[in-house]
Order: sequence, then C-alpha cells, then structure tokens
Amino acid sequence: MKIVGVAACTVGIAHTYIAQEKLENAAKKAGHKIHVETQGTIGIENELTAEQISQADVVILAVDVKISGRERFEGKRIVQVPTEVAVKSPSKLIEKVEEVVVQQ
Amino acid sequence: MEAIKKLNLKGHLLTAISYLIPIVCGAGFLIAIGMAFGGTSQGTLVQGEFSIWDALATMGGAGLGLLPVVIATGISYSIAAKPGIAPGFIIGLTANAIGAGFIGGILGGYLAGYLVLGILKHVKVPKWAKGLMPTLIIPFIASIVGGLVMVYIIGAPIAALTLLLTNFLDGLGNSSLLIFGGVIGLLSGIDYGGPINKTVFAFVLTMQAEGLNGPITALQLVNTATPIGFGLAYFIAKMFRKNIYTKVEVETLKSAVPMGVINIVEGVIPLVMNDIVRGVVATAIGGFAGGATTMILGADATVPFGGVLMIPTMSRPWAGVIAILVNVLVTAVVLAVIKKNVPEEEMDLIVEKEEEDISLDDIQIF
Repeated sequence: MKIVGVAACTVGIAHTYIAQEKLENAAKKAGHKIHVETQGTIGIENELTAEQISQADVVILAVDVKISGRERFEGKRIVQVPTEVAVKSPSKLIEKVEEVVVQQ
Repeated sequence: MEAIKKLNLKGHLLTAISYLIPIVCGAGFLIAIGMAFGGTSQGTLVQGEFSIWDALATMGGAGLGLLPVVIATGISYSIAAKPGIAPGFIIGLTANAIGAGFIGGILGGYLAGYLVLGILKHVKVPKWAKGLMPTLIIPFIASIVGGLVMVYIIGAPIAALTLLLTNFLDGLGNSSLLIFGGVIGLLSGIDYGGPINKTVFAFVLTMQAEGLNGPITALQLVNTATPIGFGLAYFIAKMFRKNIYTKVEVETLKSAVPMGVINIVEGVIPLVMNDIVRGVVATAIGGFAGGATTMILGADATVPFGGVLMIPTMSRPWAGVIAILVNVLVTAVVLAVIKKNVPEEEMDLIVEKEEEDISLDDIQIF
C-alpha cells in the first residue's frame, strides 16, 4: 500500500517530527511505502510531490492545526487524527488505515 | 456534543496559537532586552528623544500589544480560510480598542470566522458582482456586524471579567500562589506537551497577554525541568548502585536532556511510554514543586518559550533558576526511588510495549 501523510502540531517544533518518524517507522514495518510531509513552524519540509499524492492509496493527516494545501488530497481517502495518536499508537493507526482502505 | 465537536473550536484556537507563539517569543525578547538596559516601551518614538533600548522595548511592546489581534485573525483564518483574515483583523483591533483584550480577541476571532462562513453560505450575488464578494461584501458585513457586537454587546462584560480575573490572580496570597502554581505545574507535567499541556498553555498565555507573567513561567519551567530531571535521575540512581534505564533509554536521554534545556519536553515521551505510571507520578510531583516555587518567588519571564533562554528575561532570574533546580531535583529523586532496578542481563533489552488503543473519537475519515 502507498501512503502519503502530513504531520503538524501546535508549536510546530516537536510533535510534528515525532509523529512523522513514528508513522514512517510503523508503515515501513507493516510493509507499506510512505511519505510524510511536515508543516512545522519553520514551514513545509519534505513536501509531497503531485506524483506521490496521485499514486497514494490513502492519506494520513496527523494534525492538531489547520494545514496548508489540504485541497491537494481532494477525492482521496483521508484518515485524520491528532498528532497524539500517531505518536502514541502508530502501528495501531496503520492497522486502522489498512481497514479503511479495504472497506472502500 | 457531536455538533460542538464538529465545530472544532479547540483546533481553531490551537491553529491561532501556532501563529502567535513566534510573535510572542520575538517581541518578548525584544522588550526584555530593551527594558533590561533601561529602555521603556513608548507609544511613539519621537525623533532624537530615544535610545536604542527604548527602540527595542517599543518594538517588543508593539508586538505584544497586538496579541488580541493576532489571535482573532488566526482563529478567523482557521475557520474561514483567506476571507476570514480581514474581518478577524478588524474585529481583533476592535477588541483591543474596547479593552476586551486577549479573551475578547479569542471570542472576536470565532465571531469573525463564523460570520464569514455564514455570509458565504447565505448571501448570493449575481454573477457580475462575484468580485465584490471577497473584496467588499464579506469584509464589510462581517466587520460591521462583528465589530458592533464587540463594541456594544460582548466587549464591556469581557473587559470587566478580564479585569476581575487579573485582579484576583494578582491579589493571591502565598498559600494560594503555592496551590495555583503547583496545579499549573502538575497539569503541564503529566502529559509532556500533549493536549492537557496545550490547554493549560492557552489559559496561561491568556493571562500573560493580560500582563501576568507568573503562570506561563511556571508552565514552561516545568517543561524545561522535566527532561533534565529524567537525566539527573540516572546519576542519582547510580549513586545507590541502581540502574533505572536500559541502554536504549540512556541513548534517548542524551538527546532528550538538551532538548529539555531549550524547553522541548517531548523528548522524554519514549521513556515515559516504557513506564507510564512511575514516569507520570515523578513528573507530576516535580511539576507541582517547581510550579509552586516559581509562583511564590515570582520568577515572571516575559518570554513564554525558550527554556533556560527565558531566565535572562525574568524579573527575578534567580527565582527561575531555583524553581528549575527544585523541579529537576524532585523529579529526579522520585524517579530514582520509585523506578525498578534494571538487572544487568536486561540492559540490552528493547522493550516492545503494547501500544495504547486508539479511541474512535480521535479518528475522522473523509
């Protein structure tokens, strides 16, 4: 499965990047391909390409705040959670995302 | 409840706070440096009659004075995207003008954002007038309605309430300060930068915008001290020939402690996850002690972020140092005492912890 994601927390210096790392590790462990963009206080890093987005089966948004460029995911299956969930239970989140994709 | 949740009120506030923090930090440092060297924040800088320190203090004061405007604009933007910015700005300035301050700015932001959404939904214009919608109709109608509501209806009560709250907190005696600071410290200590911490942050930031620096100082000193406490615990336990961390955990600490020094508490999350109850107990007790100490001694930092970098901006830097030390020491001793000894053979073990179950309320699928 191909996953793209965005991580963004309130202060934009810590949770954002922890969520990114946890999501990447959990998804790779489960055998998926994943790209996670971060929208911290410094701005957008590791930006998703149009190609990555169009090929993705599902979008994970681990966000506490409004993100920019949400319209890029128009028409995609989106699973949105607070960053807290991605930090605390990344593998369970990936499992849940797998369910969502199968259901569709 | 469902409807309220859908409005995502907290999410909009958090978005606005994320825009606010760099402004508070930048302006806070400017005013702190300016005032430390004898400058004062002035309404207007008259040519030839001010020093560079007056200039710095004035820059900082101007930034901090705009906080109600920033929070209103941020919330309104979060709710209604780009069309929300103009009315949020105007209503935020109105909140400032009527003395409704930061709380007024927050409410004004919600007001502005939802007014814009309402106009977008209900006001239909002929095709030739489409261009007037974002340039004239939305900013004018949302601002006049929201602004007048602010001036004639909600402004005065909020101003009175704010005054009541700040006077009350200003007049707290030592025993109340101890409890107040302790509770702030405890609440910010128990979830390591998570939702509780951020909610407390919104509350203490409101107070700082009203000129009370004590509570936010308590919160940030606890966030700073907690990871350092985890580090010190390692050495204290060692003195008693006890190992409380595995090798992986010690590695984690090597980055978590320096992160803590500059106010990022999240580095210790992996450690706490491995031993939640003991970790939370230790940080809660340490946070209570640290928070209470800063409130009683009155450390009062003008900058709400930065860890040890906040110390020079405090009205009583030594009080801040003592509070950090107390917090670090208490957290460390408690950890060293209550954490279990890790036997030699388990030192290399990588603990695979069962992850917490996800609450379905937290997941939204589109």
